[in-house]
Amino acid sequence: MNIRLATVDDAIGMQACNLQNLPENYTMRYYLYHLLTWPSLSYVAEEGGRIVGYILAKMEEDVGPEDEPHGHVTSISVLRSYRRLGLAKKLMVQSQEAMATIYRASYVSLHVRKSNRAALGLYKDSLGFKAEDVEKKYYADGEDAYAMRLSLK
Amino acid sequence: MAPSIPAKRQLPSKESTLFKELLTLYETKQLKKGLKAADQILKKFPEHGETLCMKGLLLTHMGKRGEGIETVKKGIRLDITSHIVWHVFGLIQKAEKNYEEALKSYTQALRCDKDNTNILRDAANLQTQLRLYDALVETRHTLLRLRPALRQNWIGLAVAYHLNGQLSDAKQVLEAYEKTLKNVPDYDVEHSEVLLYHVRVLEDLNEFAEALTLLDSNAKSRIIVDRRAIMETRARLLSKLRETEEAEHAWRALIEMNPDCTAYYSGYLSNKDISLESLTDESRPQALHILRDFSSQIPRASAPRRLALTVASGEEFNDLVKDYLSIRISKGIPSLFADVKALYKDPVKRDIVEKTMEELREQLSSLASEPTSYLWTLYFLAQHYSYLGKQSRALSLLDEAIAHTPTLPELYTCKGRVLKRSGDYLGAARSVEDARLLDGQDRFLNTKSAKYLLRAGLVEEASQVLGLFTKKDAQSPGADLEEMQSLLYLIEDGNAHNRNGNLGMALKRYTAIQKVFNDYEDDQFDFHSYSIRKFTILIYLNMIHWEDRLHSFPAYPEAALAASQIYVRLHDDPDLVASLTAPAALTDAEKKAKNKAKKAAHKQEDPKKAANALSNEDKGLEPEPAKDDDPDGTKLLQATDKLEKAAAWLAPLTRLDKDNIHVWIAVYDVSVRRNKWLQAIRALNHARSLDSEHPELHLRLVDLRKRDPSSACAPAIEPAVTAALQELIPDEVSLETYNSQYLQKHSTSPRAILSCARALHRLEAPMEEVENQLFTLFNADVDLDVKTLLAALTFLKEIKSSRAEMFGTSCDSRFELSTAFKSQAELATLRHDNTTESEANQPEETLG
Repeated sequence: MNIRLATVDDAIGMQACNLQNLPENYTMRYYLYHLLTWPSLSYVAEEGGRIVGYILAKMEEDVGPEDEPHGHVTSISVLRSYRRLGLAKKLMVQSQEAMATIYRASYVSLHVRKSNRAALGLYKDSLGFKAEDVEKKYYADGEDAYAMRLSLK
Repeated sequence: MAPSIPAKRQLPSKESTLFKELLTLYETKQLKKGLKAADQILKKFPEHGETLCMKGLLLTHMGKRGEGIETVKKGIRLDITSHIVWHVFGLIQKAEKNYEEALKSYTQALRCDKDNTNILRDAANLQTQLRLYDALVETRHTLLRLRPALRQNWIGLAVAYHLNGQLSDAKQVLEAYEKTLKNVPDYDVEHSEVLLYHVRVLEDLNEFAEALTLLDSNAKSRIIVDRRAIMETRARLLSKLRETEEAEHAWRALIEMNPDCTAYYSGYLSNKDISLESLTDESRPQALHILRDFSSQIPRASAPRRLALTVASGEEFNDLVKDYLSIRISKGIPSLFADVKALYKDPVKRDIVEKTMEELREQLSSLASEPTSYLWTLYFLAQHYSYLGKQSRALSLLDEAIAHTPTLPELYTCKGRVLKRSGDYLGAARSVEDARLLDGQDRFLNTKSAKYLLRAGLVEEASQVLGLFTKKDAQSPGADLEEMQSLLYLIEDGNAHNRNGNLGMALKRYTAIQKVFNDYEDDQFDFHSYSIRKFTILIYLNMIHWEDRLHSFPAYPEAALAASQIYVRLHDDPDLVASLTAPAALTDAEKKAKNKAKKAAHKQEDPKKAANALSNEDKGLEPEPAKDDDPDGTKLLQATDKLEKAAAWLAPLTRLDKDNIHVWIAVYDVSVRRNKWLQAIRALNHARSLDSEHPELHLRLVDLRKRDPSSACAPAIEPAVTAALQELIPDEVSLETYNSQYLQKHSTSPRAILSCARALHRLEAPMEEVENQLFTLFNADVDLDVKTLLAALTFLKEIKSSRAEMFGTSCDSRFELSTAFKSQAELATLRHDNTTESEANQPEETLG
């Protein structure tokens, strides 16, 4: 297993991994937009040349006057067959370190489907996120999302 | 001195003001008002070219594409020396992704107004897209000369030089640029990126000391803020400078920061002149020692432990692997086998792993206290034996595991894979479907089940399964997956159709893959300007390099080869096209699918009709995606330029996948049918340099000589063709002898036997001889596999052999587990069992 910064060469593999795991999918442009705007924030887990996990992350662009700069996890997932290795945590740690040192992010946020218990457990218990808020009908199909945060201070 | 304005362009002051307003209205996207202004001018000056062009541009934005473009063209004819008319035309062509033509228009526009920075910037983007780097350097130069105060113009020029291979010019530009800067604010990420880029330019110029000085001074003063990038670059530069001690610290710091990054260990070791790729008796124990130290210093890191397994040998390996495996078995890590199987390249290691795991199994089987460890041990061993081709052993282990714990999906996916390897595609699909039903919320299992259904040819069923996760408002599950660029779905669905003989649908899916890659290619366009504004240059250069190699990414070559093979088949056999497109040829299921597709396509059209009235809504300059007017691929089947299409598919591969012999075989097949003799011969020469004994090559060599190219080709190239032919396949022996000589050499290779039988058929040998040849596949000494047999069976059916059925029966009894050779009736029964059994086993579906 190899945990390293994502490059553009990984984009197709990240897209494939996302499509295989999660219901929220993106076209290539969106991956390129992340990688080319915040080249230090996205990481991949790679085994034998295959992307088996990734974190796609960014800095929040619409920061209100009272808010502090903060990072946002657009998508994170690990193939089912590569679970129990703590990969999500390892990917997250590298990304949040970069958010804090490069962009002086004070916290990192993410959204999760209210019904997605498995992911909720991961974010809360393994990664230390706390649910701050419920965003009504955040997803295209009408489901609510928990807005979660992890302080980087 | 400004050139005088031609009379036909001049407007009286009222209209002239109005025209300026029109430009502003367009810039601010007030389309309706803009159109009104344009009409007002045209009322008095209906032949004013620039206004006509602006009107056409507005109409295009408002969704009236046809009328818009006509109006633009009329405008150009009326004022051919105006930069505005050409700029407008260029914008429209660019939106159509017709980059070559767009650049021509921009070049015209620049002829009329050479210092127009807007046009120059657009032209630079087009030149980058088209990889016209000489011209790009010139354009960026002009931009910098015109606007030196704009920071991005400096970076734009440096990047242009870089792309054009002029690194030292890039360096000079960067140095000059940095001198122009005053008061860079703290934590300026953009400037940090520029400096990291500058350091990389120096590194690529082999100016390591200068690079290190620049890096260190700017890292110290916190101008470069990316800690990981600083540390990586520093370690690399120190190693290259042979500052080994300091480099060692730098690599160690990286390992401490991210102990799971294998490149850092390679860096650390190679700084000590130890290469993991080529270990010696001397370096092996050194490497092992270092990795052991890291393992104990950073207990949470698994990379050094895993690397140690690659490095160690003999007793040491034995001890290390025991610990490694047993810890992970007790943790229940599902990917353990995937992790260690790379070690199997060394058969000694493979046997040690097997022995260790068997011992563990024995220990655990008597220990009631560790039931999960026992389970994971069985799971591991099943994968192990299956990987080594021992499918029955694997199956019995899995059956034991499933009896032990019937609720673990991994056991069923694993069983599916074992059955697939045994050729039992239906059983495999059934097993993976069982896994899916154990956790209906998991898309990974959903995708896997659909993939196995497709491998078994069950296209409809797969679509239903996929539909549990795709967008509900999509036209079909496949349409959503296509829109989301799922290459996995497109290739598997295409292959399933291809195997089912539905070549139209197969071509349709492969063509969708081609479109995904075209879209990936177009995606870069906006970044040519964006990245330079954002100063993220290193990753931008990475993207350019990626785009240049894009078509070598796995899905493309696979789709390209399959599509070109289909086109060649259709070309050779026009009756096939007729039978595939005749309505009677459709089975009920296909008819149903066809009707469904038609209805869906119809549904898609409807809402468009209402939106005819002009609104202020900007529909953008890009054309609407074309409607799907070929729901079942009939038009693709009927294309008159099949060979040209095939050639277009293959073209990128001759550059990017040139070590793949199948590419050259495919190029030959297409070229020879287009009477491109020299191209065909070059392809075979290339194939021969890769593997001179390859069965596919053998068949093509026979085919080439049989075509008698020396008399078929144009007289001008005849000497070249004859000489090359003699080189490839000498005419001293008859083709029949040549064929049997090849067979003698490879009499136990199933692929060679098949290839020789095909060659016999090509040489018009009697049917019986071809058949007899194929039946030798069942000889005891032939190392037979399902795929080759299946290809042989398909070939027999193609040539209408009366013994095809008999051949199929022999295949079926040879591979008892396999469903690949069952008759349609037998398959129908099996499929029926398939549904009833899984319904009986799994009454509940977790996903509502």
